[in-house]
Amino acid sequence: MSDQSDIMRSARFRAERETDWRKLEALTAKAEKQGLNRMSFAEARDLASLYRRSTTALSIARQISLDRALLRYLEALTSRAYLSVYAPQERLGGLLRRFLTQGAPQAMRRSWAFILIGFLCMALGAIAGYFLFFENASWFHVFMPPEMAGGRGPDSSTEQLRSVIYDNDPDVNGLGAFATLLFSHNTRIAIFVFGLGAFLCVPAILLTFYNGLLLGAFYALHVERGLGLDLAGWLSIHGVTELSAICIACGGGVQLGAAVLFPGQRTRGDALRDAGRDAVKLALVAAIMLIAAALLEGFGRQLIQDRTARFVIGWGVGALWLSWFVFAGRKRS
Amino acid sequence: MRFWFRKRAKPDRPGFDEIMPPEGVPLYFEIATFGVRFGAQLVDILITSLAAIALLLFLGSIGLSKPGSMMAIASMLFFLIRIPYYVVTELLWNGQTLGKRMVKIKVIASKSGSLTAQSLVVRNLMKEAEIFLPGTLLLTINATTPIWSLISLAWITGVMAVPLMSRRSQRLGDMIAGTFVIHLPKPILLKDLALASKASVPTKSKFTFLAHHLDHYGAFELQTLEDLLRADVRAYNASTAQRRKSTVDAVVKQIRKKIDFADKVLPSENIEFLSAFYNAQRAFLEQRQLFGDKRTNKRHAQEKDNKTNSMEKEKS
Repeated sequence: MSDQSDIMRSARFRAERETDWRKLEALTAKAEKQGLNRMSFAEARDLASLYRRSTTALSIARQISLDRALLRYLEALTSRAYLSVYAPQERLGGLLRRFLTQGAPQAMRRSWAFILIGFLCMALGAIAGYFLFFENASWFHVFMPPEMAGGRGPDSSTEQLRSVIYDNDPDVNGLGAFATLLFSHNTRIAIFVFGLGAFLCVPAILLTFYNGLLLGAFYALHVERGLGLDLAGWLSIHGVTELSAICIACGGGVQLGAAVLFPGQRTRGDALRDAGRDAVKLALVAAIMLIAAALLEGFGRQLIQDRTARFVIGWGVGALWLSWFVFAGRKRS
Repeated sequence: MRFWFRKRAKPDRPGFDEIMPPEGVPLYFEIATFGVRFGAQLVDILITSLAAIALLLFLGSIGLSKPGSMMAIASMLFFLIRIPYYVVTELLWNGQTLGKRMVKIKVIASKSGSLTAQSLVVRNLMKEAEIFLPGTLLLTINATTPIWSLISLAWITGVMAVPLMSRRSQRLGDMIAGTFVIHLPKPILLKDLALASKASVPTKSKFTFLAHHLDHYGAFELQTLEDLLRADVRAYNASTAQRRKSTVDAVVKQIRKKIDFADKVLPSENIEFLSAFYNAQRAFLEQRQLFGDKRTNKRHAQEKDNKTNSMEKEKS
């Protein structure tokens, strides 16, 4: 580099800036290792300004240099620096609080129409299942997978049905029961219903409807034996929470599917991304509700044998959820 | 999102995707391939399931879990560990889980700007429906329920097909979150060949090239020559060194024939000739480029002719 004029332009360009690049390289490595939060003020400032300088250098080099090694290096360096400069700067603690106090209830209120669709699917299914059962009891076997019925069906005696509703089986209590119940039928349905929604709504709606059918047929079976209220109590202690969770998950899924079906003026990808913002909050709410339901079912259902107490707890918890969705996160006027 | 029936113009660089940062200089990121991401996923699953097993053993030792409900508790622990694991690691390490760190890939936002907690939660929740659910289904498929097996098989193929068909090999979760996964670029600054040769040859090189010598090649040939000159000779053994020597011989011969270079080049001076030619050619091409004459390859003259011909046709 003794004689500057002797070197060709692109080599001179590189020689002038190389120290800056090396510095940026070191700073980027440091930012990646420690995170921007722990860097000193001077370092963070240098990182940002050196990054901007390297973007300029890159755009010049693309025009004037044919040295592939230099171009590759600058591309990689600038990309790495870009990723460090534009790193996420959110903290974990605030995130959770904001979600619970604002994000979730606001998203619920925004997408009330989709959630209504979810509840409608379930209700229609339940009504259809109820009447189909009274038309012909063998429908029960068509809908109900045998492992879910737990031996209950049109053939079982009224005493058998009653014993399942009011039974204190010590083996199915505590943590084990909680875990089993969390991963039972309904959670899987909820995950499916949400995930499948992105495929044009149809699977989500069908699954929710089918779940309603199960519910209706099951209820009809007990009504026929005069156990309707008892079953309602048995179901409502956790079912209010759990079935609502499925409907909400369905609402989220339908929201995604609707974005794919009717993207409007946007591309489908953009529409999906916009819809995803609220839909995922619905899915998270559904997940929280499912965990609560599993807790209620695992610990509460067998401990509380009184019918009215079951009703009160089940619907009381339901009212709490509703008040969270309706009242939380409103701006004070 | 892109469906197979909708054709889109091919990007300038296949396998890369452009991001326009706020600074206004487009950057190109190499999209991570399916296999690499699968590897990272395997590592992550291994880590989370090991953590779940450790916790399960701990619970067992203090007597909280009974053998009967072992499986249910194990799957619950796995679930409760892996959900926060992905979100928290990707948030803290700027889009990298431990597995992704190991194979050097990274999640980035597909529109310029930083990753948000929102998008990370979205892409990892969808992972639940896309990867883990079909995974468990695959494990529980049996012959007694053919309909469910068929449905789950269709679901798995559908989910696998989405990243293979999308341009940025995005999962559904990536599309909803607006993210994609890239190979982390590695900045390595090699020596400038123009300077390196100057240092080793202090006196003026004895090969001189004139304008008509340098009119034949374009940037592509220049950069191919650069790769040949940069090849690490020290790493070669006897047979590869021999092969390189014959390649260099052939290249020198071809170049001399093409550019009509009359002076004699001794076999011992081959490399010296090539680096002198590289310098001269690069200086020439860069200068042409500054004047708006960009020559991408050796067919530049023909292309120019075609262009002028077609323009004349349009005029007449």
